[in-house]
Amino acid sequence: MLQTGDQAPSFSLRMLDGTAWQLGRSGAGKPTLLVFFETDCPTCRLTLPYLNRLADSLGKDALDVIGISQDGERPTRELVERVPVSFPVVIDQGLRVTRLYDPVAVPTLFLLNQEGRILQTQTGFDKEGLNTIAAAISQAVGRGPLVIAERFDGAPERKPGCVSRHLEAAGEGDLAAPVDVYAKRGVRATRIELDKGSDPDEYCRQAGFGDPLPVIPPTVERVERMLRAMALPPDEIIGRIPPNYGMATVEKIAANAVMAGCAPEMMRVLVALVRAACDERFNLHGVQATTHFAAPLVIVNGPVRHELGFACRSNVLSNVARANSTLGRALQLILTNLGGARPGEIDMSTLGNPGKFSYCMAENEEENPWEPLHVDLGFEPYQSTVTLFAAEPPRGVSEHNAREGRQILKAISYTLATVWSYRVCAMQEAVVILCPEHVKTLRRDGFTKQEVRDFLFQNTGVPLREYRDGGEGTQYVKLYEEVLIDGEPCYRKFRQPEAIKILVAGGTAGKFSAVIGSWATGPRGSQMVTYPIAAR
Amino acid sequence: MPIILINPLDETPRLQGQVAPRLDTLAGKKIGLLDISKPGGNLFLDHLDRLLKERYGVREIVRVTKPTFTKPAPGEVLDRLLGADCQGVIEALAD
Repeated sequence: MLQTGDQAPSFSLRMLDGTAWQLGRSGAGKPTLLVFFETDCPTCRLTLPYLNRLADSLGKDALDVIGISQDGERPTRELVERVPVSFPVVIDQGLRVTRLYDPVAVPTLFLLNQEGRILQTQTGFDKEGLNTIAAAISQAVGRGPLVIAERFDGAPERKPGCVSRHLEAAGEGDLAAPVDVYAKRGVRATRIELDKGSDPDEYCRQAGFGDPLPVIPPTVERVERMLRAMALPPDEIIGRIPPNYGMATVEKIAANAVMAGCAPEMMRVLVALVRAACDERFNLHGVQATTHFAAPLVIVNGPVRHELGFACRSNVLSNVARANSTLGRALQLILTNLGGARPGEIDMSTLGNPGKFSYCMAENEEENPWEPLHVDLGFEPYQSTVTLFAAEPPRGVSEHNAREGRQILKAISYTLATVWSYRVCAMQEAVVILCPEHVKTLRRDGFTKQEVRDFLFQNTGVPLREYRDGGEGTQYVKLYEEVLIDGEPCYRKFRQPEAIKILVAGGTAGKFSAVIGSWATGPRGSQMVTYPIAAR
Repeated sequence: MPIILINPLDETPRLQGQVAPRLDTLAGKKIGLLDISKPGGNLFLDHLDRLLKERYGVREIVRVTKPTFTKPAPGEVLDRLLGADCQGVIEALAD
């Protein structure tokens, strides 16, 4: 919400009589009181007559009182006639101005000076606050003290308001309306017409459309270019994004893809990705709401890597290719904008994860002597897929001294033992990204992919002596399997070899592999999901 | 030509939730304790169970456990709480 001292953003809205009311960039030239209200809010109805009194006592020359209705024309007209309201009322269609001023609740009053700077704000009904505002304006225009709210006039001293409409739609804890889960078609997104001369970048930032980085404004023309790249109706529902279960229509996905900087051809990947994210097995609800590090890691396989320019070599986990960076970012924007898991609100992750800006890689199938991930999972090599894994940030494994494949795998097993937390076993999974140089040695030594997986499974454990002083993981030791690793009694880290997912990626120089730990896994946590991408 | 943006935010209509009426006292009431199945939750709720009875005169405690803390409570868990006719429910986190 805008605060005292902020410059009030300019806007132009239609009044009930059809004419426009405009707040200029540097105010209205006289003190102005903006009143955000809803037509069904009892506190708004209680407040409006006091504001009539204020407007009538000071007159139009001294002060503009402007009601900004968050509802449609018909209910607003009814309310204005019933109360009645004696000052001008404008309709905030699409809640465009509401998002700029961002009131938490209604009624919210913004008192602006003649240059448009916010002098004071007030949320809810508060007699003392109303009188302070009245006195301030009255004094500013050289009149005597003005009291508009008498202490004993039958109304309470104060009364909290209702949540502002723009927060209501994404409100945490709201009961969802009975959802027709079989509905295939949703509604079209609203159009937001910007005032002449207003900066669209700045509008997107203020309206909370993105992550903290600048976004590409989702103009009609750009979104239509995205939609033309996908032969699906714009109102088709691809999924409902947990935890708020907001409808991800093709059009909403396209608008977020534009903001993330995606090329239009990325739509077919995004549609598959949204389907994967909404797969119940992935349990996005938990992934988004946990305080853990988890962020969805996107893994791209198949010919789409070359068709759309996904990087799978050097710097694969970072800022190397538009395709990787924008696809990962588009997913994150969709999850926060439509799913509602905004950081600091529903997403209360303790430390977060840099992957929440974008966490997307492709497999280096060309340097992979074995079958790539999607073929392992039963897809054909000519198919393209997206895979989602609820992932911790990557942990690096440097191993430049090993002469043999098994020594490389030993080094990786020591890092694998640390996923989630060193002493916690049997409940997590991990992605192992083997770099091409390590793969070369493993291949030379005759390892198959299954043998790599089995070796890591057999050799990753936590010695029993580490459990002497208690700590996380100790409480579950009864569930762990005790094995001997190099003659030392250990608990096995993973429940089965399949908990370790093997990928090949990265540049051909450098013996750096990586381990990426999981969040809670299995049917009680999040399971890795893979979806096919429609062919070109 | 004015610039027109496509709203990228969630516009799914929802019903507003209603806050349940508050209890004026705990004495003589039947209270549900929902364990979300995080480690240590049972210890915390055992303690709460005892305190509610000893200090606040709660008549009866109904204990229900979610199968996993990572997902919303399934219908059968909520049905058990509703079926038990509790007058209030405390949902407990842990760790």
